[in-house]
Amino acid sequence: MVELSVKELFERKKKDLALSLISSKKTLNNMISDSQLNRPGLALSGYLDRFAYKRIQVLGETEISFLQTLGDDALYERIKTIFEYSIPCIIVTKGLTVPHHIDYLANEMNIALLSSRLTTEKLFNNLNRYLNEFFAPKKTIHATLVDVFGVGVMLTGASGIGKSECALDLVERGHRLIADDLVKIALSNDTIIGTPARDAGWFMEVRGVGIIDIERMFGIQVVRQSKQIEVQVELMPWRDSMDYERIGLKNNYVGYHGVNIPVIYLPVSPGKNVSVIIEVIAMNHILKSFGYDAAEAYTRRLQEEIRQKTLAMRK
Amino acid sequence: MTEKTTIVQNKLGLHARPCTLIVKTANKFRSDFKIIKDDMEVNGKSIMGVMTLAATRGTELKLWAHGPDEEYLIQEIDHLFETRFDEE
Repeated sequence: MVELSVKELFERKKKDLALSLISSKKTLNNMISDSQLNRPGLALSGYLDRFAYKRIQVLGETEISFLQTLGDDALYERIKTIFEYSIPCIIVTKGLTVPHHIDYLANEMNIALLSSRLTTEKLFNNLNRYLNEFFAPKKTIHATLVDVFGVGVMLTGASGIGKSECALDLVERGHRLIADDLVKIALSNDTIIGTPARDAGWFMEVRGVGIIDIERMFGIQVVRQSKQIEVQVELMPWRDSMDYERIGLKNNYVGYHGVNIPVIYLPVSPGKNVSVIIEVIAMNHILKSFGYDAAEAYTRRLQEEIRQKTLAMRK
Repeated sequence: MTEKTTIVQNKLGLHARPCTLIVKTANKFRSDFKIIKDDMEVNGKSIMGVMTLAATRGTELKLWAHGPDEEYLIQEIDHLFETRFDEE
């Protein structure tokens, strides 16, 4: 199971969320295993049956003002009961003053206590996005991802078929490289987002040449850090037995994390300009998303022509 | 060289699906293949070519093939026409 340490969360989001640490450093070792946030209103008021204690607990103005209405002893007991659940982390929003006992008990019972200067709403939005991304189902696949006219095209195919060379050609034409050889794909809001598998710049191996640095060579404008994958193009050696699409009325799909991505099986042979075809695939995808399908339009015209001729013959 | 005259028998004529069938079948063979309609002659292995014929039911077409497996090619293509491409 994927887990996020409070330490990582704190270090990554310290600036964005205007966070500061109230409890001791030791509490940063706690692990978060749930992507959701919880406002423990009901738990604080005493209803603990369905307390989602594994989540990050957010204390906003409502919770804090409720706690302030409790007497000193009641507050201590209430907090202690709740803290007996192994809560990984509590965040107090708006930079509110933490009621008496909470900071002491957090240290005592090893619960990370953070304060954020953001409003509860802003914290929720920002933190939710981060947690969803962190806990999203991911996998790494052998592919190259390029942004062609704004369309995320993932090139797949056997080693040595020419994925990198094709990406290089596209980069030279002003398109953008996201990842070569290894793409990390993650589910995000019913779309598939591709990023480099390693955050280590845009290097590429070109057979016979070795490693080259795309960013240094072509400039920052030809690289990007992530892109939604909209089309997959599987490059394959020409095979007589393979049934290649001729008209384009039939669409093939491949599923990643339950999302279907259209896939095009593209035969490649020496001397064939693959990058031009990739550009055409990207443009055709844009046309389709605008509601125009050339294959459909053409065959509709053909049918109409045949129909008119048939009618004319009957007369 | 092998030639055969055939007639389009299916109701909808040579629309996209039958054209795809013809082209895919023809491409299994090594021989050159042409379809001739009146004064129009198209490459039977090219989808755009075959669709350009826009042949209706009852149209007479001449199938022409030349190469090592020309007879088999004509036989199979003619069979497609005879069986109406599995259509009405």
